[in-house]
Amino acid sequence: MNVSVELSARKDVPRWLAVGTPVFTVLGALALSAVALVALSVDPIAAYNTMFVETLTDPFGLRQTATRTVPLVLTGLAVYLPLRAGLWNVGAEGQLYMGAIAGTWIGLNVSLPMVALIPLAVLGAAVAGGLWAGIPGYLKAKWDVNEIITTLLLTFVATQIASYLVRGPMQGGSGNFPGSDLLPDAAQFPAIPLLDVHAGFLVGLLAVAATAVLLARTRAGFEVTFVGSNPLAGVQAGMSTFRVYLFVFLVGGAFAGIAGFNEISGVQERLIPEFSPGYGFTAIPIALLGRNGAVRVLLAAAFFALLFVGGSKLEVAYGVPAALVDVIQALVILFLITAEFVKRYRVDVELGREPAAGPAGEA
Amino acid sequence: MDEDAFLRMSGVRKTFPGVVANDDVDFSVRRGEIHGLLGENGAGKSTLMKILYGLYDADGGSVHLGDRRLNLDSPQDAIDSGIGMVHQHFKLIPRLTVAENVVLGEREPARAFRRSGSDSADSWLPDAVRDSRVARALAERFSIGLDASATEIEALADDYGFDVDVHAPVRELDVGERQRVEILKALYRDVDVLVLDEPTAVLTPTEADRLFETLRALADRGIAIIFITHKLSEVTAITDRVTVLREGENVGTVETSTVDQADLARMMVGREVLFSLDRERVELGDPVLDATGLRADDDRGIEALSGIDLSVREGEIVGIAGVSGNGQRELAEALAGVRSPTAGSLSVAGTDLTDESTRTFVDAGVSFVPEDRHEYGCAEELSVMRNATLKAFRDGRFDDGPFLDYDELTRYAESIVDEFDVRGVHDVREVPAGDLSGGNLQKLVLGRELARDPDLLVAHQPTRGVDVGAIEFLREALLDQREDGTGVVLISEDLDELFDLSDRLLVIYEGEFVHETTPEAADRERVGMRMTGGAPAAGDEAVADASASGAAMTDGGETGGESDAEAVDTAGTEGGDAR
Repeated sequence: MNVSVELSARKDVPRWLAVGTPVFTVLGALALSAVALVALSVDPIAAYNTMFVETLTDPFGLRQTATRTVPLVLTGLAVYLPLRAGLWNVGAEGQLYMGAIAGTWIGLNVSLPMVALIPLAVLGAAVAGGLWAGIPGYLKAKWDVNEIITTLLLTFVATQIASYLVRGPMQGGSGNFPGSDLLPDAAQFPAIPLLDVHAGFLVGLLAVAATAVLLARTRAGFEVTFVGSNPLAGVQAGMSTFRVYLFVFLVGGAFAGIAGFNEISGVQERLIPEFSPGYGFTAIPIALLGRNGAVRVLLAAAFFALLFVGGSKLEVAYGVPAALVDVIQALVILFLITAEFVKRYRVDVELGREPAAGPAGEA
Repeated sequence: MDEDAFLRMSGVRKTFPGVVANDDVDFSVRRGEIHGLLGENGAGKSTLMKILYGLYDADGGSVHLGDRRLNLDSPQDAIDSGIGMVHQHFKLIPRLTVAENVVLGEREPARAFRRSGSDSADSWLPDAVRDSRVARALAERFSIGLDASATEIEALADDYGFDVDVHAPVRELDVGERQRVEILKALYRDVDVLVLDEPTAVLTPTEADRLFETLRALADRGIAIIFITHKLSEVTAITDRVTVLREGENVGTVETSTVDQADLARMMVGREVLFSLDRERVELGDPVLDATGLRADDDRGIEALSGIDLSVREGEIVGIAGVSGNGQRELAEALAGVRSPTAGSLSVAGTDLTDESTRTFVDAGVSFVPEDRHEYGCAEELSVMRNATLKAFRDGRFDDGPFLDYDELTRYAESIVDEFDVRGVHDVREVPAGDLSGGNLQKLVLGRELARDPDLLVAHQPTRGVDVGAIEFLREALLDQREDGTGVVLISEDLDELFDLSDRLLVIYEGEFVHETTPEAADRERVGMRMTGGAPAAGDEAVADASASGAAMTDGGETGGESDAEAVDTAGTEGGDAR
């Protein structure tokens, strides 16, 4: 038996493949996870029903999903913007923590009415996150230092700084548990009237709109897009890769920083260690799924939020470890990579007998 | 159909979305002939050869070699059938040696693993291991035995007169030598048909001549050679017969000796093609460029420009001739503000721009057509519209409040596409620039640069790799721009082009200008000599002249032992008819 696998580079990508990739990716990941569910003696249809349908049709589930979407979409944008310029921001998690620290500090130490305090804290978080991303951004822009390494390593630094602060200088309350003081009411996001989701959600939507407009309609967006596609041609035309790279990291980091404060202000109400279940890292597949538009990043973030929320329900309802959610996320990433590969190459598998009568082809 | 034909492609059909690349094409080649395949970009010659080499599946038609009908599903099938191809972009691995590159894909396992009993008696491995199927499978996958192959390759190289060290790593070889390694790859596989895709695109005139000699020798041995080109001069120089493709159809196959370049051009384009352009007298204006003492380093930090003085006036085209690699790239980039000079000064239209950023140059009215339109000229994945507005988008007329007026940008792009006859664009916002054929992309790039109405245009090889129809258009465009008062620096390897377009002609060699003349007063032989660093000569007096007066005086003492030798070599063999 002769199995031959042939790879041939595609000349052009069929439209259905290019457009449908995110959908196929998700469906593929879910299909494969269904296998895992079956192995656990759980009916996949019922499980997915619980995870997705029930969550979305239940007001509490919807609220939870929307709340989870906030940090995910903001960190998603933090990865998405540099990605459009051809760079990888793997450190959104660290930028998120720095933003949380700065925003919390302002919330705790500055006396202002909510109307002024929250915007100030958000601004502070943006600046902190932006600067934290600006370091690797500058290193890349000026000396071509690999941004994947620098952003990633700075994440660990940031989480350690946060950990130290909440056990030391920012330690609040009675001192029994690590964590800052409770944020005053003036620094906590109010709930949006009808939706009953904290106002940070609006900040997230605003960020999506701002990014979309920035990229689609401004000169800066034109430059970012061009440099992301061919920096050499951009330089020849007078564009400055230095400015573009620095810009996308500063703005991306700012978004991640805001995400951090939003979580503290809207959900946690105080700065605690390890409050993020890896939002900054989940942001990467989100940015990849949504790589063609800020709105798609929002949709991808919503999907992952749904996974989070629905996943914890699974545990309660079926005794399935919530880690299944991690599995599905991982599968999404794997399928994304495979999809990129399938887009570029056609894979033909041929089964035939040994030599003599080979498969017939056309001339 | 030709009865003598050895290779026969009949009724070949290949379509891509929106275009019929090969429309029922018949193509045949005889043993021992050099058969040219001529056509504009997009005429279908590459497609036809890719079908022959198994890279594409034809939608219809057949390929026969001798009496056998061939199944060409992959390059391996083509190679197994005795068809070899030398691509324009070499498929060599620089870190490996010549021998390793040649056997790539066909290597023998290490000597130690060869089956006991055959010619490898002295293996240090026990017979049991050598005979085991597992060990042999692993050996075939992971080991390499070069000794026998290397000797064979050396013998092959000697046989064909290739002067190459089979144990040298490919990265140490120059372009001409690398191309010979590619040919060796084909010869090693004992090909009967050899296809060369635009082989002289990367060669100097001397190297091209050597290649032609080699091909002649191969043809004399009975190998059928297919030579893809769009250069008419090459067709007349080396081919026995030539087939012309136009818009996917075979327009005709002729004996080269019975046609001239004008006939071929007419066949290629379907109409009369003007070979000489009307260059009107234009009044020269103020200087737009004034560069003195320019020095610049190349990417490796070695000095590539050694003191260039150049001035260009409004309405003047200054042509710079030279063989690629003598500082042209650094000069073009320095003049366009992309590369910082290490010394010297540069001013455009009276403003000193020395050491300014590229952006300042662009804003000051300097336009640049780079040598490599793919790598530096455009972003292939982005739309034609974005590429067309690459330098104009900052202009105030595209303001829409704080935003960019994309509608206006689209209109601007469309006007460029219209005015510069860029074909293949049904929607400027949808078609990616990478989808355009070479000539059309170049028209787009030049169009974008000229539409800005620049004071100074730096054009580096603006018609390289471009089909005849587009070349004509591009050259007319340059002349038109000159009449509008733009000063143009035209760097080119094509002497015909330089003679047709330039008002003044300079020759660059090893980073300096070594000769200045005008097309009317120039002696083409002499210019060709200067391009290769030699001194002009006729016959045997060359030797005495070159080493004594000529070399020392006019070339500024740059000629060392090597260039003298070159001068002797090239004297009388090529002259200015290089291109």
